[in-house]
Amino acid sequence: MSDELKLIAAAKAGSADAFADLVREHRVRLLRFLLTRSSSYADAEDILQDTLIAAFRHLHSYDPRWRFSTWLYRIAIRNAARLRRPDLVEIGDLRDEENDPLQQCIADSETDNLWVNARQLLNDDVFAAMWLRYAEDMSVNDISKALDRSASWTKVNLMRGRRVLETHLNGAAQRSEAYG
Amino acid sequence: MDKLARQLHDDAQRIDVSVSDELDRRIEASLRAVTPEFEDSRPASVARPALFWWASTLTGVAAAVALIAIANWRAPAQPVPAPVNIVAAIPAIELKAETAMLTGPLQQELDRLESDLRKAEARVKRDIGL
Repeated sequence: MSDELKLIAAAKAGSADAFADLVREHRVRLLRFLLTRSSSYADAEDILQDTLIAAFRHLHSYDPRWRFSTWLYRIAIRNAARLRRPDLVEIGDLRDEENDPLQQCIADSETDNLWVNARQLLNDDVFAAMWLRYAEDMSVNDISKALDRSASWTKVNLMRGRRVLETHLNGAAQRSEAYG
Repeated sequence: MDKLARQLHDDAQRIDVSVSDELDRRIEASLRAVTPEFEDSRPASVARPALFWWASTLTGVAAAVALIAIANWRAPAQPVPAPVNIVAAIPAIELKAETAMLTGPLQQELDRLESDLRKAEARVKRDIGL
């Protein structure tokens, strides 16, 4: 039995320490992802906390056929969607440039971070699919499970997301050449 | 990994995020305050053999028969009412009647209608000056 499965078994038996150890390595990655879907750093932290509590509370429903990280991401995505204000369509509406928590976590020297552009160019679901694929190296099947979408939807939208970003990059390169 | 995938991966890693000690304490305190829900400990329902179905059916039928028998056995004997001669109770109708007696009122009504019609016809002729 792997360490992860041992920790899951102990956490299922009620051990909060085992669960804390289990999610320790996932917390930073989850927080980074939630930062792209929140209006502030504090909101992202709150969603992370809610996600971990919900995961611990409902650990009995975890299916070991899933990767544990996939299951956590699914809960996080649901929590982030639940806490979003209902009158806003896209998460980009929540932020202004100065108070954007994602911008604040990117060093000044790296203003051309592609994820900032991706969030402006892609809708939430496509952005999440792209993040899980390229930031988390998840398989298409895991992304489908995390987003509760079909594998076909995931493949098509990963391709669309890539095309949008490639077009953006090519346009940026041409503008850069034009302005010398 | 192609160039775009590499750039996306690297840019994600450049997003500088850390779990603060304060958040760490908050999370651990929250987890200790939570009681995880456990799986339903009731045994799963097991399909019963057909013998149980037959046994329960026969028991039900036997109980129903016994109930009916007891109910009939305890019921007091109902007094049987004396037969009533219905024919004698209905007053006899005199069927021997002349045809004229039966059709008389209709004939009178017909005569009255014809009379009304003639009067109306005469009134119309007078009004138009014929």
